[in-house]
Amino acid sequence: MSDSILVVVEQREGKLNRVSWETLTAGQALAAETGWTLEAAIVGSAVADLGNEVAAKKVAKVYAVESPNLEPYTPDAFSAALKQFIESKQPKLMLMPHTYQVRDFIPKLATAMGRTAITDCIGYKKEGGKLLFTRQMFQGKLAADVSFSCDAPWFVTFQNGAFRGDKAEAGASAAPVETVNVQLADGVIRNKPQEVFKEAKQAVDLTQAEIIVSVGRGIKEQKNIELAKQLAEALGGELAASRPICDSGWLPMDRQIGSSGQTVAPKLYLALGISGAIQHIVGMKGSRTIIAINKDSEAPIFEIADYAVVGSLFDIVPPLIEEVKKAKAGS
Amino acid sequence: MLVFRKPIENIERPQMPADVVIVGGGPAGMACALRLSQLIDAHNSTNPDSQLSKENIYVLEKAREVGQHCLSGALLDPRSMRELLPGFEKEAPLDAEVTNEAVYFLTEKGKFKFPITPPPLRDHGNYVISLNRFVKWLGSKVEETGITIFTGFAGSELLFDGNRVTGVRTDDKGVDKEGHPKSNFEPGYDLQAKVVILAEGTRGSLTKQLIAKFDLAKDSNPQTYGQGIKELWEVPSGRIASGEVIYTMGWPLTTREYGGAWIYGGKDNIVSLGFVTGLDYPDPRLDPQRVLQDFKQHPFIARLLEGGKMIRYGAKSLPYGGWWAIPPVAGDGWMILGDSAGFLNSQRLKGIHLAIKSGMLAAEAAFEALKKDDSSAAMLSGFQKKVESSWIKEELWKVRNFHQGFEHGFFAGLLHAGIQQFTGGRGLRNRYAGTAGYQHMKKLAELPADGGPEAHLLGPAKGDGKLTFDKLTDLYHSGTKHEEDQPAHLVIDDTNICNTRCVKEYGSPCQSFCPANVYEMVDDAEQPNGKRISLNPSNCVHCKTCDIADPYQIITWVPPEGGGGPNYDGM
Amino acid sequence: MKILVCMKQVPQKDAPLKLNESGAWIREDVSYEVNEPDAYALEEALRQKEKHGGEVVVITSGPARAQQVLREALAKGADRAIHLEDNAFVGLDALNTGRAFAAAIKDEQFDLIFTGLQSDDYGYAQTGVVLAELLGWPHATIIMQIEKSDAGIRVKRELEAGFFQFVDMPLPAVLTIQSGINKLRYATLIGIKQAKNKPLRKVAMAEVQSAVTGNLQKIERLYVPLKTKNTEFLEGPAGEVARKLVDKLRNEVRVL
Repeated sequence: MSDSILVVVEQREGKLNRVSWETLTAGQALAAETGWTLEAAIVGSAVADLGNEVAAKKVAKVYAVESPNLEPYTPDAFSAALKQFIESKQPKLMLMPHTYQVRDFIPKLATAMGRTAITDCIGYKKEGGKLLFTRQMFQGKLAADVSFSCDAPWFVTFQNGAFRGDKAEAGASAAPVETVNVQLADGVIRNKPQEVFKEAKQAVDLTQAEIIVSVGRGIKEQKNIELAKQLAEALGGELAASRPICDSGWLPMDRQIGSSGQTVAPKLYLALGISGAIQHIVGMKGSRTIIAINKDSEAPIFEIADYAVVGSLFDIVPPLIEEVKKAKAGS
Repeated sequence: MLVFRKPIENIERPQMPADVVIVGGGPAGMACALRLSQLIDAHNSTNPDSQLSKENIYVLEKAREVGQHCLSGALLDPRSMRELLPGFEKEAPLDAEVTNEAVYFLTEKGKFKFPITPPPLRDHGNYVISLNRFVKWLGSKVEETGITIFTGFAGSELLFDGNRVTGVRTDDKGVDKEGHPKSNFEPGYDLQAKVVILAEGTRGSLTKQLIAKFDLAKDSNPQTYGQGIKELWEVPSGRIASGEVIYTMGWPLTTREYGGAWIYGGKDNIVSLGFVTGLDYPDPRLDPQRVLQDFKQHPFIARLLEGGKMIRYGAKSLPYGGWWAIPPVAGDGWMILGDSAGFLNSQRLKGIHLAIKSGMLAAEAAFEALKKDDSSAAMLSGFQKKVESSWIKEELWKVRNFHQGFEHGFFAGLLHAGIQQFTGGRGLRNRYAGTAGYQHMKKLAELPADGGPEAHLLGPAKGDGKLTFDKLTDLYHSGTKHEEDQPAHLVIDDTNICNTRCVKEYGSPCQSFCPANVYEMVDDAEQPNGKRISLNPSNCVHCKTCDIADPYQIITWVPPEGGGGPNYDGM
Repeated sequence: MKILVCMKQVPQKDAPLKLNESGAWIREDVSYEVNEPDAYALEEALRQKEKHGGEVVVITSGPARAQQVLREALAKGADRAIHLEDNAFVGLDALNTGRAFAAAIKDEQFDLIFTGLQSDDYGYAQTGVVLAELLGWPHATIIMQIEKSDAGIRVKRELEAGFFQFVDMPLPAVLTIQSGINKLRYATLIGIKQAKNKPLRKVAMAEVQSAVTGNLQKIERLYVPLKTKNTEFLEGPAGEVARKLVDKLRNEVRVL
């Protein structure tokens, strides 16, 4: 049997988590690089239909790993189910997105199999015959290339945004979907999860936000923050600020980014009227994409921005909010 | 609305009895603790029936870790360390033995080397050290002997009973910006101590309280200060030798300012470089951090730093006033050590060895007090007497008029210094008067609008990001951190003076003399001059310059919540 | 409730980091502090003890300097400390750290084991879950709240996008605690003094050697991340710039 890569996609309540497409893209790239076969698996109860969605992509095969005990999610069930599956199919490399759910069970699964997981990776390299996985360390200050010193199976999770979900290649024809029933003994599952519910957050955890719209002194007055808030809402992101804004009490301190506030590395950081003093930069330079709007063409923020607009944020942001709303409505 | 820090009133505070509380874990405080421990150990080994305990001897250090707030060039004269710990050179972290000294007079582009190094600046036999690392080591020795060092705790108030100092109150923790207790509020402790030893360093806040309460300084010269701004640099190999010492005077200062620079070659290609500016300059727009950046642009210095990397920044004031500015150092239940008292030789630019010696002498007095259970003024005056008959007095007596000689300009100062050299420090009269530095500050109306010959010293540095830096960038390299949600610890008596008078008369010099961008005048249409004082207290590097230099003397620096401040790792 | 809190000492958040000679780790001449998420785990443990009585024990593995983290925890109210002190513990991966801890506590009977969410240096978020598997205990991660229940405990788990979930669990269990759920208490002078007399047990590598193997993963190299991107300036009238930005957001950044 040729070596295989297994991408385990994530689903909740009958819907695929979109980040799974990113993991599939990663899997396709690794398969091309190593020549190994790419397969996918979806874990849950009665998930074969979702398996079909995955089968439309370029994969050799899709497995629906099923058991009624896999709904709702518990780490005991997922770990036991995947252990069974892996022991029978023996993939060489297992790829998953680094979601809260995966974090909850992957170290357990790896340990149960006497193996290890390299988690929250942002990329990979192939050097000589070895695969190296790149991860951020020290809150993004340094990067590390990590390799496995044990036999397969190898477990890797990828950070949100490390790969492009829209680049997942479609398959020439639908891949076969095979249902694999796993047996979970009584007493394996010890946690009893209740219904998932939504709640207004008391404190904001900017470190988990994917999109951050951040304001600095350039916002000039407290009432103008409303503009930034609208942009954040339109984008589905969180509002944040540099120190002086929080010091003035215009935004609460838990929205402060920088050496004396939070350190973030979101997918998108939009800096409005922020000059880029080093105390602020160190709190956000790990962001995947940085867009800066500032009137001052010499503002240090432009040195680390991917996209820069030299101009007044009061001119740019209103039309930007409109365009974002249009784009979201249209898609 | 600015809310200033003050101890919360009408609450019950935990009480803790103590024999000795040493406020400040710098070289003076640590030397005192170590010496006291030695004396107690020696006593206990020969007096099995009257053992003294170290259980209730405490050092209070406001920094999160010992040494974090210690900053100096520094050159250590080993004299007192050899008395405290013979053979200390074998285990203390010393960067290099001084191999070479040179003194330069700088002009804007040129330099003139003094053919002979003036004797006070000869450093053979001294060591280049990092005071931060040295004090960390000294602190570890103190802890080994069983004396407790409480880090992250500041002395916020002295406790009195009539004319007696009865203890120290520590800082209230968990107070929000508006002055209200947070859910994790912890009231400061009242440490009821038999002996309180103030070793807070330059311009100590409890020392200031004590001096004010008992009018201790009535017979002394006012204390005068300089601000030392330091950058630690990593330079390419071979630029400067380990143990090489360079002093400069002249450019960028004019004859109206007092100050000069130091450059010390440490180990591993680390250079300690800094500028001391006397806090008695005439133009309120002068910015000492800018002075340092200008200094680095001199070709001689720029060449030295080329291709190097600035790794740390810091600032601290230093007491220059000399012997005549030292107040009484002992009283009913209290003693004052080190820089808090003013034990600094401004001619040699050295005070660490004096701080250590003062700590040792105070320990002897404290020991006697513990033995006899008597910490009255009469008992502790033993410390005063010891200082006056020690080499502290011998050394400081010779330079007692040094700094005062410069009050009328650089050349006058050199002249006086020369005369003092031959008269055992007397100069033209036994005691030169001194004036407080802020009294030299001129109003803007009396100065040329563009600053005249001082123009290049005025206003903030822009910085090129490689050799020179703007203040915020420099500040980032001081590792300064504070709990953000706390009241402002720069207590301004009357902010109306800032907004209505100072802004016009002096142009708000706090923005310039603070090396940490704590003070800012922000736009405010409701103010008569369109500007209002705003504070960034969590930038504070605890240098005390504002307390010293503000022309209206309305700023009182009090310790912020313990654990906050700069992180002078390696400085 | 007998609670064990696993704590780690990490380089200070704003410490300037330099690579060591091998390029596979950092130079250790920096300032250290407690891993912030672990401070929240400790705070939660102390609150549980205040509510239900019991004992809080703290454990760490690392060189001598790591003892500081334990001393601070004892000063805040923990009852006992365990220090796996041996240079050989540094650089162990999560699996082996878990094995070492499990071996060190084999004679104890804890009801709960808390860890922080993840460490500020490695950021793997694994040790707690690994430990649960090694001990054969149930676990839950990113916990905001813990209540005692008849069957054990009911915990509130944080999920993505503002969702939460209550989970009922039996004891003993391992929980990884979310940061920022409580205000951290301060150590008091009395606490610091008393900490000196609290038991601190040192465990050398030899004691747990049989449980530990070589690492199963290896950091080949550490480096400063390279910025390969160039700044693209978007120009034109406001409306046009807005459209260009949205284009980038959709196609390059992929947030639309």
